[in-house]
Amino acid sequence: MAGKSGRSINNVPEAPIKKMILSWEGILVVLFILINIFCASFSEFYNLSSLLRQMPIYLAEVFLMLPMAYILVLGEIDISVGSIVCLSATMSCIVCNTGAPFIIVVLTGLLVGTLCGLVNGVILTKFQELPPMIVTLATQIIFRGIAEIVLGSGGSISATNTDGFRLLGGKVGSVPYILFLVIILAVVFAVVLGKSTFGRRVYAIGTNRLTAYYSGIHVQKIRLIIYTVMGTMAGLCSLFLISTSYGANTTTGNGFEMDAIAMAVFGGISSTGGKGNLAGGIISAFIIVCLRVGLGQKNVHAQVILLILGVLLIAAVALPNIVGQVKRVVKK
Amino acid sequence: MEKKSVLKKITGSREALLAVILIILFAAITIVSPSFLTPKSLLDMLKNNAVTMVMSLGMLCVMLVGGIDISIMSTLALSGMSIGMLLKYEHITSPVLAFVIALLIGTACGLVVGLVISRADVPPIIATMGFMYIFRAMGYLVSNGGEWASAKALGSFKDFATTKLLGINCVIWVIILCYVVFFFFMKWTRTGRKIYAVGSNANAAEVSGINVKNIKMLVYVIMGFLAGLGGALQVSIYASAMPDMQQGGEMDVIAACVIGGVSMSGGRGTVIGALFGSLILATIAKALPLVGFDALWQNTIKGILILVVVVVNVILQRIADKNALKGREM
Amino acid sequence: MNKKLVSAVLCGTMILGSVSPVFAGTADGMKIALVAKSAGNAFFEIAAGAFEETVTAEGGTVEKVYPEAATADAQIKALDNLISQDFDAICISANDVNALQAKLEEAMDAGIKVSCFDSAPNKDSRQVFVNQAGTVAVGQALMDAVLDIAGGEGQWAILSATSQAANQNAWIDAMKTIMEEDEKYAGLELVEVAYGDDEPQKSTDQTAALLEKYPDLKVICAPTTVGIAAAAKYLQDNESACKLTGLGLPSEMIEYTGADDAHSCPYFYLWDMVGLGNLSAYATISLISGDITGALDETFTAGDMGEYTITEADDGGTEIVLGLPLEFNSDNIEEMAELY
Repeated sequence: MAGKSGRSINNVPEAPIKKMILSWEGILVVLFILINIFCASFSEFYNLSSLLRQMPIYLAEVFLMLPMAYILVLGEIDISVGSIVCLSATMSCIVCNTGAPFIIVVLTGLLVGTLCGLVNGVILTKFQELPPMIVTLATQIIFRGIAEIVLGSGGSISATNTDGFRLLGGKVGSVPYILFLVIILAVVFAVVLGKSTFGRRVYAIGTNRLTAYYSGIHVQKIRLIIYTVMGTMAGLCSLFLISTSYGANTTTGNGFEMDAIAMAVFGGISSTGGKGNLAGGIISAFIIVCLRVGLGQKNVHAQVILLILGVLLIAAVALPNIVGQVKRVVKK
Repeated sequence: MEKKSVLKKITGSREALLAVILIILFAAITIVSPSFLTPKSLLDMLKNNAVTMVMSLGMLCVMLVGGIDISIMSTLALSGMSIGMLLKYEHITSPVLAFVIALLIGTACGLVVGLVISRADVPPIIATMGFMYIFRAMGYLVSNGGEWASAKALGSFKDFATTKLLGINCVIWVIILCYVVFFFFMKWTRTGRKIYAVGSNANAAEVSGINVKNIKMLVYVIMGFLAGLGGALQVSIYASAMPDMQQGGEMDVIAACVIGGVSMSGGRGTVIGALFGSLILATIAKALPLVGFDALWQNTIKGILILVVVVVNVILQRIADKNALKGREM
Repeated sequence: MNKKLVSAVLCGTMILGSVSPVFAGTADGMKIALVAKSAGNAFFEIAAGAFEETVTAEGGTVEKVYPEAATADAQIKALDNLISQDFDAICISANDVNALQAKLEEAMDAGIKVSCFDSAPNKDSRQVFVNQAGTVAVGQALMDAVLDIAGGEGQWAILSATSQAANQNAWIDAMKTIMEEDEKYAGLELVEVAYGDDEPQKSTDQTAALLEKYPDLKVICAPTTVGIAAAAKYLQDNESACKLTGLGLPSEMIEYTGADDAHSCPYFYLWDMVGLGNLSAYATISLISGDITGALDETFTAGDMGEYTITEADDGGTEIVLGLPLEFNSDNIEEMAELY
């Protein structure tokens, strides 16, 4: 099934310019420009500074998209990340309120996330027969459940010392720190997936797990690493999320997993595994951010925005397939 | 010797394993709270989980061909909300007509989903994620942005869920009917067997003359039909239609199937399995408040129970496989 | 193959040309954004309708904004969008007590007035809170209803929304305090506080569990609209001897309300939602015009609703209390269901 079109392990692109423009990433760049033109003419408040100001909370979700892309390339899915964000945000706030130095707070957030990811990874590698969706569904309920228990009645905690989080949410000029971090991490994740042995192995597992196993790839070790990193990134996401709300509650991070998956899929990363690259995912993340900010500024009903995203999501995957089918028919 | 063979039989069949798990659950709950094992309490449980139980049958078909559908609860909301609003503004008054409309809307939604997945080759999780947003948004639009259709507006439609036939609630008859029909459909009809064939090996099925695309479309149409039915049931049982009803409920349906031994990669799973899976989930939901855990702990315990059930299932399956292997060696 | 690129460029220029800036300057009056907890909330829609009517009558415009989900995260995104625009005030019903503080402070720093109604964010993130009914008043009304329906003594239980719902928790705490302090409630025994998460299915499970666990249960008090409707349906369908009261929407409850045995709910309460919308509108307008700043003991005139005074809220901030909860019974429910 995999490797039918797009990139897989055997066709690393040679990148002639024409091919690059016509690739999915090229189309995405054009779409990105079009959407920005559209938003700018649609809403008079849409400009670079308002975009930069509204971006951080969406960019926090991009942290989730990066490792999610790896999981999707594996042909798997992790729907527990939203709950991991919730749990590590809760723990960070609690530690923060004990008066611990900020570095400890940051470490707590990352550590809790990593632990949750590790739990997912261990269960999934010990019981390989279990579908990732059902395991992460169970842990989704459990992680959020633990946060509910910890938060107790009231279900909300506010960080008393917000200095550190304010710093985290700071800006250079009008560019928020998080944008730099997202770009740096995006490059790292993209290079590792696209150029390193590790990344090639991920594609190999996603294309054919059994073949990969027999050609000497430590399938379970790689899965464990990826799910753990997913948790770490969820922890990172939670820290930046706190910097926009100075607190955590039982609904923190609700639905983030779907947003992250949507970004990745719209960027051409197939959920059936073995296909896609992170460049597409990153461009599509920015497309979605711009679209949401632009339509939101015109106070378009949130459900209508979701409807548009849904149509885009399906169209993005369906159109190339339909075009391909038509082409095949014409050739015949 | 005889004892061993009984044990072997139990560990050899997935359904028997599930039955054992269910019996253990029942026993444990009854010890803590004796009122659980009364006919009324059990019938209540079935009625209150009718939507999930009926829809797990559709999810069974979808998962058998290796697909997944997370748009179902949006379809449910759209069809339920539509008939709610139609009844509220008295465009229709007949309960039968309301049922038919809900089923039609559900089927239409399923058809669209099926077309996109089977004809445009969109991976099921992506297509249904898109439709999850789309149908839910349409549900909101149908509700004029957030109106509810309440008990009074629903007129005689809601009486369906309170009427009894032969001493058993109509809703429960619907569940029984669905399960009986599907049991025969999956086991003894040509189409039912084709679904299994496509799920086990799509290429082989294609070669042997099965129209794989049509079968793939069919399962989503079935799912849509049942989601429409779920919408009508939901509105009737709770006597209210809200645009955000059952949000997130699709995961319960998927969990019911997976607990029931339906494989997510397709080809494996039975109607009995889906029945046990959804019963186990229903029992957990019913038991949590009865047993008297702190309300804060209930979600965590639910999650852990789901995890334990699937893990135990895997371990027992491994033992069964090992036994089977031993048998062959001998 | 270059055709694709050419057509893409053409498309771009077309869009650029056709979508010329549509906006023709801001309206003369004030612009107020009304932020809901989530879409699909009948309760909000009623108050929002009244809010909009009042503001329009005063020459302003209202933009109703719905977050994509009933979470604080989604409201943060919605607030971000609003701050970028030129609103004079934001009136919000908050999904979380603390989480909106950063954004609402940012809004206030940007010169946008922040009022809230129905459900308040913490005292630092608001200028004024319009409370539908005093917490103690609601607790008192519900406690008296429970005492009356139970006939002076017996077991009763509470069916709430989620264990995190701030409003519900405040009312429940108020009820508990009242019950402990006054001798006349000594015969009542609160057996359990259950949570139905505002889902009909879970609320039904919880109601059934309460009845099975406590066969002598006399009254269930459900201070939440979804919970009370689900419980009312279950009790009525099962012809239970246990009765119900709480807070609910008349249009949802009309089938279940009545003093006889055939109905499960003798009477219940809610506040004047149209009044809540109107008062919130007047309070927000007064904030914009500078008549009030949200400080203690300020007074303002809310159209023909009369004069209101800003009082101290339970959380140390300030609030404006609309009035006492309204009782809905078999006599007035037909009429009220038309309104709400």
